Amino acid sequence: MLEHRDMRAVVRLFLVAVLALFAQFTWAQDAGSQKEQVQRQQTQPLNNAPVWRDVRGGENPYQTTQARGIETNVLVQTEGEIWRQIRNGPVTVYGGWLITIVAVLIALYYGLKGPIKLHAQPTGRVIERFTPWERIIHWATAISFVILAVSGIVILFGRYVLLPVFGYTLFSWLAVISKNLHNFVGPVFAVCTVLMFVTFVKNNIWRAHDWIWVKRLGGMFGKREHVPSGKFNAGEKMWFWFGVTLLGIIVSITGFILDFPNFAQGRVAMQQANVIHAVAAILFMAAFLGHLYMGTVGVEGAYESMRNGTVDETWAREHHEYWYKQVTGGRAQPAGATPSAAPASPMREGWKT
Amino acid sequence: MARMKFLCDAERCIECNGCVTACKNENEVPWGVNRRRVVTMNDGLPGEKSLSVACMHCSDAPCMAVCPVDCFYKTSEGVVLHDKDLCIGCGYCFYACPFGAPQFPQDGAFGLRGKMDKCTFCAGGPEPDFSQAEFKKYGRNRLAEGKLPACAEQCSTKALLGGDADVVADIYRQRVLTRGKGSEIWGWGTAYGRPDKPAAKPGAKS
Ligand code: HEM
Ligand code: SF4
Ligand code: SF4
Repeated sequence: MLEHRDMRAVVRLFLVAVLALFAQFTWAQDAGSQKEQVQRQQTQPLNNAPVWRDVRGGENPYQTTQARGIETNVLVQTEGEIWRQIRNGPVTVYGGWLITIVAVLIALYYGLKGPIKLHAQPTGRVIERFTPWERIIHWATAISFVILAVSGIVILFGRYVLLPVFGYTLFSWLAVISKNLHNFVGPVFAVCTVLMFVTFVKNNIWRAHDWIWVKRLGGMFGKREHVPSGKFNAGEKMWFWFGVTLLGIIVSITGFILDFPNFAQGRVAMQQANVIHAVAAILFMAAFLGHLYMGTVGVEGAYESMRNGTVDETWAREHHEYWYKQVTGGRAQPAGATPSAAPASPMREGWKT
Repeated sequence: MARMKFLCDAERCIECNGCVTACKNENEVPWGVNRRRVVTMNDGLPGEKSLSVACMHCSDAPCMAVCPVDCFYKTSEGVVLHDKDLCIGCGYCFYACPFGAPQFPQDGAFGLRGKMDKCTFCAGGPEPDFSQAEFKKYGRNRLAEGKLPACAEQCSTKALLGGDADVVADIYRQRVLTRGKGSEIWGWGTAYGRPDKPAAKPGAKS
């Protein structure tokens, strides 16, 4: 991999590049140099230095061309090389490793500690946890997210990972499909993100007791002690605020900029949007792996809650005690209460309700 | 093998757009695509200068580096070409290119741009030389015919030079010595400032 020296160079380059990308506005002052050139022609007729200074940037209103199109009067744009270094460098390298390492850590956790199982027997009595509307929104967001994540990964990492396996022709087909899926599903995801926020925000307000969950890391480590929480625990709330909301908005806005070149955005806008989009998307995917794990194999009964909309009372008590007490109105059972005769069947209602 | 390069002499370019026209005619490029364009600096002011610019066939080409499907390749003469059958029209090469060379027939919503098109140094594409498919996608393959680029060949003031880099540089050096000014070789630092990436892989032809 990268040597230490290279690494430092990459980091330094990244900082310089980010500064340069965002400081371009100051280059507008170049326009002054055409006046300088006019004066220079009188005193030193053969000196063209100011013209050559103008060549970069193309901010000079007297720099013209007859070719129509985006920034056709710009002779050289230097930001493209910076963008290349950032995208092909830290974004691809660190981004790829981040996703890989998170996946490996989750697999290790699963291997070492196994899933979180119910302690007591299911009661057989179910409570509604998600309304049909909530489930529709969740799954619409989730499915479009997975399509975007997979197709985005093909575009960003496919050249290094898939192309050597599939060969040029097949991989190009895959990339065309990915690109078009990504570009059409993107806006769907953006709409879902807004609906998701509106639907779920009421249960994601931060409460004082959420700090207990944070302090004990949700009881996921060590002896896996019980940590009470509301309808959503602090981990889910963090996923809601930093993932769904913050990263969702960032990825959607930058995605729209990239998705509609028909508005003739300049190249710098596209480069900035791409870097922000890719970084946010990578963080989003890494966080999503955690959510995916907890929602499927990591916690017994979690998947069924979103699939069927209902949970067993035991599950509710063991995972979301405050919410459980709230909905059952104090009909709380002592821990280890005698299991009811009817076996729990969370699949009973089916996903359609 | 010679290393092919372009050089445009700003002391000579008169902004006639002959190169632009020659290119369109020779290669029958799609509507709206400008493989070559002429940019005028200080238009209408003392010290006005013009330059003709197209793909410079960089040593370490940024387009080649960012392309998600790796569809670019380089001939043994240093000409940067691409395979339109592989291109997905993502536009990344256009974001990366210093010279604004990559062009797209459309710029539709949802990123529908069509296949990228750019100057080929009049060297065609990956299809067999002189084939109908090659001409339709990439234009004339003049290098295979033993000719130099159409744009540079027809330049009336010989401002635009295209061909063996050593020869081109010699001509330019001679000019600078003779006229005693205008020694700035525009674009060479950006395009050829870094070591050549080796001639490349898929379907690369000599
Ligand atoms: C969870 C959501 C998303 C993920 C994980 C994601 C991921 C990615 C990734 C990894 C790339 C490749 C970046 C690169 O190659 O440098 C990308 C590119 C892109 N994304 Fe997304 N993205 C998401 C959402 C969106 C949304 C909501 C939109 C549009 C509204 C969008 C539009 C685009 C576009 C247009 C590109 C450029 C690719 C091209 O033009 O072919 N993305 N995305
Ligand atoms: S537009 Fe085509 S050639 Fe350019 S980077 Fe994208 S896939 Fe490669
Ligand atoms: S070399 Fe050929 S393809 Fe390139 S600009 Fe000149 S005429 Fe057009």
